[in-house]
Amino acid sequence: MILDVDGMRVFFPYDFIYPEQYSYMLDLKRALDAKGHCLLEMPSGTGKTISLLSLTVSYLLAFPQTLSKLIYCSRTIPEIEKVIEELRKLRIYIEKETGEASNIIGVGLASRKHLCINPEVSKARDSKVIDSGCHALTASYVRARAQRDDTIPQCEFFEKFDLHGREFPLPAGCYNFDDLRDFGHQKGWCPYFLARHAVVAANVVVYSYHYLLDPKISEIVSKEMKREACVVFDEAHNIDNICVDSMSININRKILDKAKTAITHLTEHIQRVKMSDSNRLQEEYNRLVAGLRQAASQQDLIANPILPKDILEENVPGNIRMADYFISFIRRLVDFLKMRLTVTHAVQESPAGFLKDIRARAFIDRKPLRFCSERLASIVRSLELTDVSDLAPLVAVANFATLVSTYLQGFAIIIEPFEDKAPNIPNPILYLRCLDSSIAIKPVFTKFQTVVITSGTLSPLDMYPKILDFHPVIQSSFTMTLARPCILPMIVTKGNDQVSISSKFESRDDPAVVRNYGKLLVEMSRCVPDGMVCFFTSYLYLENVVATWYDHGIISDLQRHKLVFIETQDDAETSLALINYMKACDRGRGGLLLAVARGKVSEGIDFDHHYGRCVIMMGIPFMYTQSRILKARLEYLRDQFNIRENDFLTFDAMRHAAQCVGRVMRGKTDYGIMLFADQRFSRADKRNKLPRWIQEYLMDSKCNLSTEEAVQLTRPWLRQMAQPFTRDDQLGVSLLTLEQLNSADSIAQVQRRAQITL
Amino acid sequence: MQEEEDPKEYRWESGYEKTWETIQEDESGRLEPSVTEIIQRTKRRKLLDREASVRLGIMRHVYIILDYSQAMTEQDLKPTRQICTLKILEDFIKEFHDQNPISQLGIITTQNKVAKRNSDLSNNPQRHLDCIKKLQDVPCRGEPSLQNALEVALSSLRHLPPHTSREILIIYAALTTCDPGEIIATLQKVQEANIRVSVVGLAAELHVCKDITKNTGGSFSVSINDLHLKELINEHLEPPPASTKMDHTLIKVGFPHQINADAKPALCMCHLDDLPPLNTRGYYCPQCTAKYCDLPAECRVCGLMLVTAPHLARSYRHLFPLKHFNEILAEESSAKECYGCQKQFTATAADKNVSYMFLML
Repeated sequence: MILDVDGMRVFFPYDFIYPEQYSYMLDLKRALDAKGHCLLEMPSGTGKTISLLSLTVSYLLAFPQTLSKLIYCSRTIPEIEKVIEELRKLRIYIEKETGEASNIIGVGLASRKHLCINPEVSKARDSKVIDSGCHALTASYVRARAQRDDTIPQCEFFEKFDLHGREFPLPAGCYNFDDLRDFGHQKGWCPYFLARHAVVAANVVVYSYHYLLDPKISEIVSKEMKREACVVFDEAHNIDNICVDSMSININRKILDKAKTAITHLTEHIQRVKMSDSNRLQEEYNRLVAGLRQAASQQDLIANPILPKDILEENVPGNIRMADYFISFIRRLVDFLKMRLTVTHAVQESPAGFLKDIRARAFIDRKPLRFCSERLASIVRSLELTDVSDLAPLVAVANFATLVSTYLQGFAIIIEPFEDKAPNIPNPILYLRCLDSSIAIKPVFTKFQTVVITSGTLSPLDMYPKILDFHPVIQSSFTMTLARPCILPMIVTKGNDQVSISSKFESRDDPAVVRNYGKLLVEMSRCVPDGMVCFFTSYLYLENVVATWYDHGIISDLQRHKLVFIETQDDAETSLALINYMKACDRGRGGLLLAVARGKVSEGIDFDHHYGRCVIMMGIPFMYTQSRILKARLEYLRDQFNIRENDFLTFDAMRHAAQCVGRVMRGKTDYGIMLFADQRFSRADKRNKLPRWIQEYLMDSKCNLSTEEAVQLTRPWLRQMAQPFTRDDQLGVSLLTLEQLNSADSIAQVQRRAQITL
Repeated sequence: MQEEEDPKEYRWESGYEKTWETIQEDESGRLEPSVTEIIQRTKRRKLLDREASVRLGIMRHVYIILDYSQAMTEQDLKPTRQICTLKILEDFIKEFHDQNPISQLGIITTQNKVAKRNSDLSNNPQRHLDCIKKLQDVPCRGEPSLQNALEVALSSLRHLPPHTSREILIIYAALTTCDPGEIIATLQKVQEANIRVSVVGLAAELHVCKDITKNTGGSFSVSINDLHLKELINEHLEPPPASTKMDHTLIKVGFPHQINADAKPALCMCHLDDLPPLNTRGYYCPQCTAKYCDLPAECRVCGLMLVTAPHLARSYRHLFPLKHFNEILAEESSAKECYGCQKQFTATAADKNVSYMFLML
């Protein structure tokens, strides 16, 4: 249907629309009009993606001057594919309505692993191997050499693309990865470079977060994007952690040893080049003297880890211009780091302190350090190295040097002698941690006119502008209009014996608490059909509790009702458990999955319909507060942003809890129980931080329950939800047709809802 | 059912309930508004959907699979799920044979991971009622096995002639099923045998049950309370529309006469096992003159279907149901009260359903 959103024609490819989708579009339109950033929370399963696409694409068509591009950042490959599929639907609908061919181009972009069609290279499984294999065939100097020498292999797809594809614009349409590969096969062009090339011209680009946030990649991929673009971060509840991680580096002994070997290789190589072709090094030296910053060529695998604005427009300092000097410089650096790793107790220092130390003890100045990674890239280029995968540890060291010398604020260096898990085996690690999530995302905010941060769980909304340091023009949270109460959130605070349950450190190993948690699980597994997921706060606690339950016979009680599966830290084991869990749900035996908040299961795996009828959150998933990294970040947040430690910890814990329980609800026909089992959840400061769509159904009468009371609420509710429910029942309440939407009073209602949220 | 009926069941023995919280009224005074309304709407839709000119499977062979696992001992239906269900089934069996005289019924129970056939397919209601009575003393134990129960039903339904309607009605209280093998394979077999499986759940929606019903064209429902359960079970009194795979053939039917006067005393064929006294009353098969004391029956000797004309007529009625009522507003009608019950029609009644009146076309 064609909607009228605030005076603009919006193409919407479905016949029905949810009221919250309409208000979401209204808010988004306002943000686009204001050319500002916005923060929108809307429960998953209410059609966030299509609302976003419909509105922005219609906006693109209506006002091509103000908005020329939509950049959609998603987290996983399947999600990217989903977005492209929705876009395809929308595009077909627009063509049908307007009666003319639409010139919208939508492209998904992923790593070579997903796009490479070279039969030799794509055989490898590891993405690093594929990258380096591609590099070995397509680097400019390899190709230059291949022109002279026929025996050097080349990638025919890349050659053909380079010959014809660059001038040829991609025909309008939507391309997911399969389409790109097919198109590549058909034309004989390399799909990866085709996509990279098409990204510049396409109207809608869908790719992963890292292409924008990680400065190493964004410099290469996203540099040519124009300002008149709308950037969307979907499922962005963890965006601050992604920002922080993209600028953090960990170095341990193994990496340093490998870096050492890489240096030896480099030295040998330099000697060889000196013997055969001494001009090449001289040329490089001259270039560096002349101060020509190498424009990062498209295939650079070693990119600068710092942000564009921080890259110096200066010459590489004299003491690392010569290849030999640079090698000895970096060798000294590695030795210094190795020396620093020999600690017996944990050390934390600021980048400034580290620089002072390295200057005093290794006579290394700040300036050459800053050029370290760029200089390394340059030497790799001039040595014409083809296999760069071995260099990765050395690149890490160089990146570390560049980062530590560039940013004196917002970073911390922490050296820990032991790992947390094995406190007796010395395994020193040097962490360079970014503490300020706003550093990495700042260029995105300044470069693009509209940035939309959206997710199913963003509450409390006011935290994100603070930690990401931006000013949203619109920030709102939408609820779910439902024809029937299809979520049942409950807070269980005590067991049947009235002993309060909590995962608090002091009481978590108390046998009464563990037993009550077990009893709660048994009771719930008795009355909940099919699948049930239970989240613990950590792997350690999960293991302890399960061991105790086993001794008390609770596990065998559980197994009478459901098969029990446990998530472990091993990826393969976990996916096997997941497959069998789903099998158990399908066959009617029923499954119970014991998982860990922040683990693989809690992010990205949906337990829709019968795969998850109930989620139990055993305790509040606080971060490990003894970690020095976390302490440093909390301290920084307190000093710089005025955020109290406790506020941030609660915020983080509650967003993870919401994320875990949100797994169960994936659409309006779905239904599920969300059970928070900790006495602390009932406190106002925790409860208020849950997303609005959950809070709305969390009445006072459902807080502070005992196990038995929770079961008593569950049974009749499950019966009611099992009653037949069709689309007609939703119509008019949670689902609107065009006529219903256009009726004056429903618009007023929708707008009133939207007003409240402002 | 009423609590007074079973004196052993005390209020404090039952589960902990917040009765004061379950009562919630909306503006129109209905309880649990949204869901109740949805149920009402589906019921009306179902009535409207029923059409007159649909082929129905009138010769029904129905197996009732009764879950007899631990879950049946729960007390959310009074006094227990077991007793309550058996009582409803008792009424159902009587009513079923009344409304479907040429159909047959059988009962299977499942507990402790196995399934047992408690009464074979037959059109003798008394036999099933006896079976139900016996079941009242059997304790509910262990876990049920859906697969085993379906296999048992399948083994006898599979060999029936193709013109019959084969049905399974599962009454399921548990939320799990403990199967020896792959249940999907059994479902496949059930589907191939053209058996219609319906499930009435007592606790919650179970995916596998919903799946079976969807694939076999049956219905899936979950009861909210005892009255609703009765309604749901009684929905299966109506013969279902015949599936397209069902054959249509002519069936030989015998109309036996009641021979009196000069008949010699003889044993009836239907009670051979419990040695009834010899008497002269009964119906004689027109083909082999075996004697039966009750009709309808299938002749044990020659396999002829024995019915009376009223039986056929009664089954016939399903084919031509009443026409739909026409809905008109109370103000528009000339009558001020219901012809049948003399209830006044008022436009201001709290429940708007009352303010309509229904006239038959």
